[in-house]
Amino acid sequence: MVDNDMTTLIDSASSSESPTMTISKAPAIPAGDGPLKMTTRNVNVFYGEKQAINDVSIDVTMDNVTAFIGPSGCGKSTFLRCLNRMNDTIPIARVTGEITLEGEDIYAPKMDVVQLRARVGMVFQKPNPFPKSIYDNIAYGPRIHGLATGKDELDNIVETSLQRAGLWGEVQDRLQDSGTALSGGQQQRLCIARAIAVDPEVILMDEPCSALDPIATAKIEELIHELRGKYAIVIVTHNMQQAARVSQRTAFFHLGTLVEYGVTSDIFTNPTEEKTRDYITGRYG
Amino acid sequence: MNSATTYTEERSPTDWQGDVMQKRIRRRYAAERRFKTLGLGAIILSAGFLAFLLIVMVGNGFRGFTQTELPVEIDFPVMTGGASASQLEGANGKANLRTLGIQDIVNTSIEIQYGEDGLELFSTGGWNAVGRAILDDPNIIETKATLYLPTESEIDVAYKGNGSASAEKKVAELDDQLSTAFNWNFLSNSDATDPMQVGIWGALKGSLITMLITLIIAFPIGVLSALYLEEYAPRNRITDLIEVSINNLAAVPSIIFGLLGLAVFLNLFGLPRSAALVGGLTLALMTMPVIVISGRNAVKAVPPSIREAALGIGASQMQVVFHHVLPLALPGILTGTIIGMARALGETAPLLMIGMRAFIATPPSGIVEPATVLPVQIFLWSDEVNRGFVEKTSAAIIVLLLFLLTMNAVAIYLRNRFETRW
Repeated sequence: MVDNDMTTLIDSASSSESPTMTISKAPAIPAGDGPLKMTTRNVNVFYGEKQAINDVSIDVTMDNVTAFIGPSGCGKSTFLRCLNRMNDTIPIARVTGEITLEGEDIYAPKMDVVQLRARVGMVFQKPNPFPKSIYDNIAYGPRIHGLATGKDELDNIVETSLQRAGLWGEVQDRLQDSGTALSGGQQQRLCIARAIAVDPEVILMDEPCSALDPIATAKIEELIHELRGKYAIVIVTHNMQQAARVSQRTAFFHLGTLVEYGVTSDIFTNPTEEKTRDYITGRYG
Repeated sequence: MNSATTYTEERSPTDWQGDVMQKRIRRRYAAERRFKTLGLGAIILSAGFLAFLLIVMVGNGFRGFTQTELPVEIDFPVMTGGASASQLEGANGKANLRTLGIQDIVNTSIEIQYGEDGLELFSTGGWNAVGRAILDDPNIIETKATLYLPTESEIDVAYKGNGSASAEKKVAELDDQLSTAFNWNFLSNSDATDPMQVGIWGALKGSLITMLITLIIAFPIGVLSALYLEEYAPRNRITDLIEVSINNLAAVPSIIFGLLGLAVFLNLFGLPRSAALVGGLTLALMTMPVIVISGRNAVKAVPPSIREAALGIGASQMQVVFHHVLPLALPGILTGTIIGMARALGETAPLLMIGMRAFIATPPSGIVEPATVLPVQIFLWSDEVNRGFVEKTSAAIIVLLLFLLTMNAVAIYLRNRFETRW
């Protein structure tokens, strides 16, 4: 059933391209072993005249963690920010192509971007808790979306979100303390809990560990493992070992194009493209 | 090329301990010391000016809060023909007091005590003090009481040590009877022609009302403009033009805002002349650019990561602005507001243009009543010929400075309350 869906999608994606172009520009999309969550087809992003993303097609599945890797400036963060339309905040950014969430075109005029961002949550490179209490940090999302009807329900959401983010044990006695007083790693887990609290379907993580020490990084990676399956997770990372550790699917970006997209173990052990091999073996990047 | 050969030559090792280096280090230290000394000098100089200003103001101004008095013995039972205290109590007290003819009683008593020319020693409105004293304590109407009444202005000035020769002579004659007391009337009266009878309350109340109107108009409009320009407006030629215009507006001489107020509020809208409402509106025009500029800077200073965080969990643009950006920018906005309001409080020129320089002898009871404000009152008094106004001017300046300090203290308190303390 799922496989069927995938084939038709691949067909539709590659039908407009010549076979040779398909290999370089829209690489074969690995068959997901979970329900399809987001699809992107022939996505181009322009910053003014400059093209930052060139014809990228990727599928995000529910059960896999998808990692975007690539050298700095290759467009992986730009592409990630297309998935919840955060690029809308940049006036000169323009996106073409099709991106869907559960089959709905997220760039369609009737798509409510505010609700989209609640469904596709985001964790940023630098931990950015609100300068409010830990409790209010988590409760803010549910409050503005009206997800809790009473104080008890809100308390419950806060507790389960913090538990899922593995932070409850550390902060349960000081929920009224400031979120910014936590350590860097705790702040990042707080941000993950904050994203979880609005009950998203997809969580986008933009280099979530680049500002953290190895121990905090390990905790976040562990957390990503635990969250896998509950949410579709897309993670951008500089760190290839991290991509290898946490993801099941890896996409390698270079200069705004998607060079290769496949099962993580294949990408790391047996990449089909020479560029990927060069990058993974550390020849550049 | 030649240069190529020189570059390839081996560099001689740098002599970090050598004389040349030691000299460089000494020169660097000397430059640091010079800069520190100059900076310190600048601070000391400005602190000195401030101290001088304060000492002169307080020294002169303090005398403005006091008045010279002469005792007057009034035999009420004889003068009033036996009026009783009970007559003067309650609601009808004031009316009954009027029928007694206090002014005549006081004047007669003065003539009995100080001779035919005695009246010239006293301030013309001084008898009012007797009326107030009786209303405060009606029982004195049944006794022979000694009351202290303010002297005439020249004697007052001379007694305080700055008077004319003729007044000095009178003071020498009366020296054992003259005394100084705190002039409570200065805090409760309004403008008058006799410096002994003037007070600051009218101008203070006018300033209060005017500032309130300025704040109510300028703060919300300024903050909303700043938020819109920073968070919503697209960056293009029009917004650039608006930005330049606002920056220029903040630098426009204040008297031009007065002309604008005159043309728009008085001539076009037909609002009353001299009114606190018009003054407040005019000053609001002047204060708004300052609030917009400081507000924009404060909004700009809110880290983008906070906006992204809020957008990332699905907050709408307005929720981002009002839940996150505005609270974080508020301390900065308030700082700008303090500066703008302080400037507005001290402003005289634009208010002259809209007629607030009128002689206002009663405190304004509403926003459209004729009013004046503290700086204008100071300006008017400083223009008076009578020497008695010199110290009143200084006293008014002290009141203005105190008002300013109070206003700033409130604003700083508010700012610290809103400041996130983590």
